[in-house]
Amino acid sequence: MTFWAVVVASGIATYLTRSLPLAVSLRGTAPAALRRYLDALPIAIIAALAGAGIAVPDAQPTGGAEIGAALVALAVAAWRRNLLFAVIAGVVAVAALRAVGL
Amino acid sequence: MSPGRTAIVEGWPVFVTAVVVGIAFGVTARQSGLGIVETSATSIIVFAGASQFVMVDLLRAGAPAPLIVFTVLLLNARHFLMAAAIRPFLASASRLRRLGLAYILTDEAFAMGVGWFRRGHRDLAYYTVFGAVMWCSWNAGTLLGAIFGAGVEDPQRYGIDFAITAVFVAIVVLGVRHRADAVVALLAVIVAAALRLFGASAVAVVVAGALAPLVTFALRERSE
Repeated sequence: MTFWAVVVASGIATYLTRSLPLAVSLRGTAPAALRRYLDALPIAIIAALAGAGIAVPDAQPTGGAEIGAALVALAVAAWRRNLLFAVIAGVVAVAALRAVGL
Repeated sequence: MSPGRTAIVEGWPVFVTAVVVGIAFGVTARQSGLGIVETSATSIIVFAGASQFVMVDLLRAGAPAPLIVFTVLLLNARHFLMAAAIRPFLASASRLRRLGLAYILTDEAFAMGVGWFRRGHRDLAYYTVFGAVMWCSWNAGTLLGAIFGAGVEDPQRYGIDFAITAVFVAIVVLGVRHRADAVVALLAVIVAAALRLFGASAVAVVVAGALAPLVTFALRERSE
């Protein structure tokens, strides 16, 4: 049946994207330029995830609530240096901003 | 507190989100005509939130199988970057263990794991426990949604859907160590947001994530 073929193929495709860089064994040291790139990569990916989530939270472009709430989460994270506080502040802020119609 | 317990304490807003979104996926899949077994199997085999919604949607629309699989591959190409980026932190693990950890590599586990490693920790327990609880949350949510179907209140009203974006924002803020990090992060946010707004949702994260680090080379040349 098509469904199972699609699910299994999608599962394999997804697992390959996750596992290929982890399957190889590294020998020696990577060139300086590559190390520099890989060092900056995690922050870039997480920031990209944030940017995508802020701009289009749910199929529709943001009305501004997500931008405001992201700034609140950013400020709380910088102030308290605490992940949990920042997330709670962001969730409360986005609920409040959506409630007033943004 | 042990790394594993810290992962649960810090991760619970993300786990709650995963259960809620998992329920939404379960409901959506059932409404698209999948049975309970098929719905749960999708979450276990594919285990990748956004692409599962797209997959179910394309299946219902009757899209050809190769196109569906290719779309899923494109959406998940960002995991390739994440695996490359997290690779140095998993250097102490055997290849078999790395292949196991690859299965639980989600946006959330990547972000939380990197956040942990950037605080100077080297243990794998935090990432492993977070990823495992994340897997349980997603699959429990899927099963609940598949069984109970309708009657789920709109999670947007409570802002729960924003929790994961807030996690990403906070991890970036806590992970920025110098000016170059901040420039890379800002560039990635702008490029990803622009790509999303102009309709290139599938590749927004992978393109922005791959391009933004290149700016560090320009920054270094100017400072020399």
